Amino acid sequence: MGPFLQYTVIGLTVGSFYALVALGYTIVYGIIRLINFAQGDLSMVGAFIGWTLLVSLGLEHLPLFLAIVVAFVVPMLGTAIVNLGILQFAYKPLLNRSLLAILITALGMSLVLQNGSELIWGPAIEAYPPNLLPAEGMFLGPVHVTYVQIALVVVSLLLMGGLVAFVQGTTLGTAMRALAVDHDAARLMGINVNQVIRLAFVLGAMLAAASGVMLGLYYVQIQFTMGFLLGLRAFTAAVLGGIGNIPGAMAGGMLIGLLEAYTTGYLSGKWEDVIVFGVLITVLVVKPTGLFGERVAERM
Amino acid sequence: MAVLEVRDLHVFYGNIEALKGISLQADAGQIVAILGGNGAGKTTTLRTISGLLRPRSGSITCNGKSLVGLSAHGIVAMGISHVPEGRRIFNVLTVEENLNLGGYLIRSDRAMVQQRKGAIYALFPRLLERRMQLAGTLSGGEQQMLAIGRAIMSDPKVLMLDEPSLGLAPILARSVLRTVREIADRGTTVLLVEQNARQALTIAQRAYVIEVGRIVLEGEASELAKDERVQKAYLGGFEAVSSASPEP
Amino acid sequence: MTADELMLTIFVIFLALAFVRMLAYRLYGEDPRFTQWLNRVDSVPYWSRVIAFLLVMGAVAYVDGDEYFTSVMVSVATYAMLGLGLNIVVGFAGLLDLGYAAFFAIGAYTSALLMTQTHWNFFATVPLAVLFTGTAGAILGYPTLRLRSDYLAIVTLGFGEMTRVTFTNWDYAGGPNGILQIPFPEAFGYVFQTQFDFLIVGLVLLAVAMIFAQHLEHSRLGRGWIAIREDEFAAESVGVPSLRLKLFAYVMGGMWGGLAGGFFATRIGAIDPTSFTFSLSVLALIVIVLGGTGSLPGVLLGALVVVGLPEVLRQFADQRLLIFAVLLVGMMLVMPQGLWARIRRKPKPFYGLQEEEGEDVAAKILREHQVQMEERDRRHAAAGHRVIKEGEAILEVEGVVQQFGGLRAVDNVTFEVRRGEIFSIIGPNGGGKTTLFNCITGVQRPKAGRIHIDGRSVVGLRPHVIASRGVGRTFQGIRLFKNMAVFENVMVGLYPRHRTMTWQAMLHTPGERKDELRTLQESRRWLGFVGMEAVAGRLATELSYADQRRVEIARALAAHPHLVLFDEPAAGMNPTEKVELDGIIRKIRRLGITVVLIEHDMSLVMRVSDRIAVLDHGSLIALGKPAEIQQHPAVIEAYLGREEDDLMERAQGA
Repeated sequence: MGPFLQYTVIGLTVGSFYALVALGYTIVYGIIRLINFAQGDLSMVGAFIGWTLLVSLGLEHLPLFLAIVVAFVVPMLGTAIVNLGILQFAYKPLLNRSLLAILITALGMSLVLQNGSELIWGPAIEAYPPNLLPAEGMFLGPVHVTYVQIALVVVSLLLMGGLVAFVQGTTLGTAMRALAVDHDAARLMGINVNQVIRLAFVLGAMLAAASGVMLGLYYVQIQFTMGFLLGLRAFTAAVLGGIGNIPGAMAGGMLIGLLEAYTTGYLSGKWEDVIVFGVLITVLVVKPTGLFGERVAERM
Repeated sequence: MAVLEVRDLHVFYGNIEALKGISLQADAGQIVAILGGNGAGKTTTLRTISGLLRPRSGSITCNGKSLVGLSAHGIVAMGISHVPEGRRIFNVLTVEENLNLGGYLIRSDRAMVQQRKGAIYALFPRLLERRMQLAGTLSGGEQQMLAIGRAIMSDPKVLMLDEPSLGLAPILARSVLRTVREIADRGTTVLLVEQNARQALTIAQRAYVIEVGRIVLEGEASELAKDERVQKAYLGGFEAVSSASPEP
Repeated sequence: MTADELMLTIFVIFLALAFVRMLAYRLYGEDPRFTQWLNRVDSVPYWSRVIAFLLVMGAVAYVDGDEYFTSVMVSVATYAMLGLGLNIVVGFAGLLDLGYAAFFAIGAYTSALLMTQTHWNFFATVPLAVLFTGTAGAILGYPTLRLRSDYLAIVTLGFGEMTRVTFTNWDYAGGPNGILQIPFPEAFGYVFQTQFDFLIVGLVLLAVAMIFAQHLEHSRLGRGWIAIREDEFAAESVGVPSLRLKLFAYVMGGMWGGLAGGFFATRIGAIDPTSFTFSLSVLALIVIVLGGTGSLPGVLLGALVVVGLPEVLRQFADQRLLIFAVLLVGMMLVMPQGLWARIRRKPKPFYGLQEEEGEDVAAKILREHQVQMEERDRRHAAAGHRVIKEGEAILEVEGVVQQFGGLRAVDNVTFEVRRGEIFSIIGPNGGGKTTLFNCITGVQRPKAGRIHIDGRSVVGLRPHVIASRGVGRTFQGIRLFKNMAVFENVMVGLYPRHRTMTWQAMLHTPGERKDELRTLQESRRWLGFVGMEAVAGRLATELSYADQRRVEIARALAAHPHLVLFDEPAAGMNPTEKVELDGIIRKIRRLGITVVLIEHDMSLVMRVSDRIAVLDHGSLIALGKPAEIQQHPAVIEAYLGREEDDLMERAQGA
């Protein structure tokens, strides 16, 4: 029982990172049916902006609370601007064109982000300040939980809670959900569709950036290639939960995190991919719209 | 004076000319019916007025202000509301949320949104009962009520309805049209696309008959209702009508 | 010239060619001299054009002689093979595949293991590699068939990753180190080992891949694929078995990948799992999208760009990939259709076919139809079914119910249609007419009730099965294959008629050629039948609605059905066109085909129908001869509303 719970803790921590990135995939996909392959790389960009602030600019020496707030807020804003730029210059002209052209462009943007970051921050592995957060933790029965794990999961849950509150509780959020059903009908309500699409890109990027900073704080090491695997897992999570479906993306992220932790714990890390994708394919064969069902607009 | 005026509207889908010069007008508080067969261009006309389609040429004005070139949401802001064919309610949202979206443009004025919702619930008490239900679970008649309620949340000057009685039992269709009459009586101009010609002509003041993208008949509704050509059009095909207007 | 300069020169030449081509089509697309020239080019056999082109490429490498340049060309050939396979899956069948590297890997490993472990000759391993990858295609394809295309992105991506990880963890195949010292290919005592040798092998394999791919594209199978890509629902309804064809596309695509993989293994001499990552799948996809999805010359051009561009950009070292990515996105923005986009319209599709006179056409169709009908009846009888005679019920609908949520779209409807009659279904919009058609053609399964065609139940059958039993249909909102030429649309309609095997199509055997020629000839006759022969080469979307409806009728008739269902054929037609439609419907009946019509145009309905059924709110409210229906009080009420309407009083009061 001990190891199992221990793996569960690890799985939930990592899963919450995946869930954040998956939300970005799901929001954007639900509205414009674009798999924004750059989503994982946005996370990486967020992680590097956070690293620049903390390490290069020395914010790590500020009071801890202030340092952390800045290290989250600035990357989230910066990444949001990057994502808006991508939307405007790369996707917008292709939105009503073939799905393939826009998919290739998305893959291309992922490459641009990776190689652009490599140019800016270099190919080397960089390290978040290892002693910024307390390393100790506590025992809950047989399970050791670090304070960092608790803090990161709590922050993730807060962000997700905020998103859900926004999407469920405000008219703008309702408009976002409406757009995932019917674009024309939404236009007829007076909804500025482009504005809502931009909002989705901003939200997606902010969540991705937050998860990037958390990854940096959790694993310490970051590199310009880190976005690929993260994006892949998050995308898998979004599809597993039912793409376009917000609770689905969160549950999917957690599930993938757990799956990964159990596989590594009980089997071997080298079979992670096989197990994760195996489960995904099995789920899709049994339930073709994901665990929680899809919410996707008809093609415009 | 004309609240809505459309002049010589030409609309294309790719190379296909769907509207070949449509002109019509609607005065304040009037119900104007647009009749015609499937594929004649009725829906295209409404979609062009509401900005979902762009005309190749022609003008659309509301109270003298041009609508051509405005975005669809801009046109809603100008006071034109459109209940599309097939209702197109957001079936994964609740009734209340659907209405909230109808008031999207006034969303910052919460009191106003509440007040208008109250008025709509008074008009359609059934919607109040089902306030928290997902719109997709409503019956056809209730969905139509919701679609109309959602459209008048923005308190439009012009309300365009595309086949509101589609698929409704006669008694429900009549009650929907009665509501349309009530809405018009309060001063809203209504553009009504309806397959049920007789009922449409009973509540309308003016009517146009469209065929293959052209207006082939127009006039006072009461006169058109007596017109043998319209009668024939609905049980005998449109030949009688169009033989009067030679093909180019 | 240095290798880089040579490569740049080739680049410039090809991009200029692509540009000139685009310009020529835009400026002279309608010019008869241009089209005549195109037809002349087209009449040169494809294989000879491919071989000539590849010979030139080989000659350039030979004359230049640079080892580096040649090796880049070998890579181009490899990527082109890969692209050709992926093009079948993505370009033809429209199925997204982000894990195509898996097939490349399986092909490479199969070939390499056979060569190193069992010491087979390379050329002997190729068929096995192709067989294995084809099987892998089936394994990947089967569970994904019913998924919507966007889901394929992640499933195929996952398949690719799973394959790679499996090879990494498989010790027999060398684990992460892979397989080393793969021998060179050998034929008749000659060992291929220089880059130029490889180029020769590569070009030969590429030629084979290219010619087979072209044959497939222009076969019944290829048209089926493209039809599925354009509109799966419509394709099923004209008899194209979409699930089977999708599976086939995966199998075929996998086979091409296997070919490329085997070649890759022997050429590199050592393979390991890092050669088959996601980025390879992405590059393969870029090859085809950049070149122009579905276009075979586009694949070559795409491969040239994807392989050659990074080489040319070598001098930028660090920024190389960034520049590549930016250029890629730029090219997609400037030419979203691809550099060498597939142009499907054809000015003279029947060029070189024997001319037929109008009356001849009608007579031939009639004769052919009678032959077909007799044969069908004979087969029907031989299978132990009763042959329905003229005047007996060919379509029986009994107690059919269809329900969506709380709405009863079709409510306990019963009627029969007799062989040889024209039967109309009328009623207000939303009355359940189209839903009923969908139940009859297998698009939807009714919640209750029986539907028999030809005395056999069709409930639960897939649409393509019902179509191949001789039921044709058209759609209320026209569903032609938009990016196919008009004559190709009709040729897809002929799908159920032929039984050509895939290998025949690939080899373009005389039998297959005869079938194809007949298909083309028949599509021309059917277009003549509806008066649309003159526009046969245009894209379906370029026609007016009325013309599109006529093409849809021709497509529905192409397979010689004995029952056709037309959904509002007159919608959007002007009076002249309606009169012509009248004539077409009568001509169809004269062939002995039973016609069921949904229509709102009453004068058309009254003129042509033998009997009429009226549906309102899902229920059958009247059934009878036109004269009876015209006088029927319930019908008048359904259409006009009740005379004493309370609305009337209100309006009079107002």
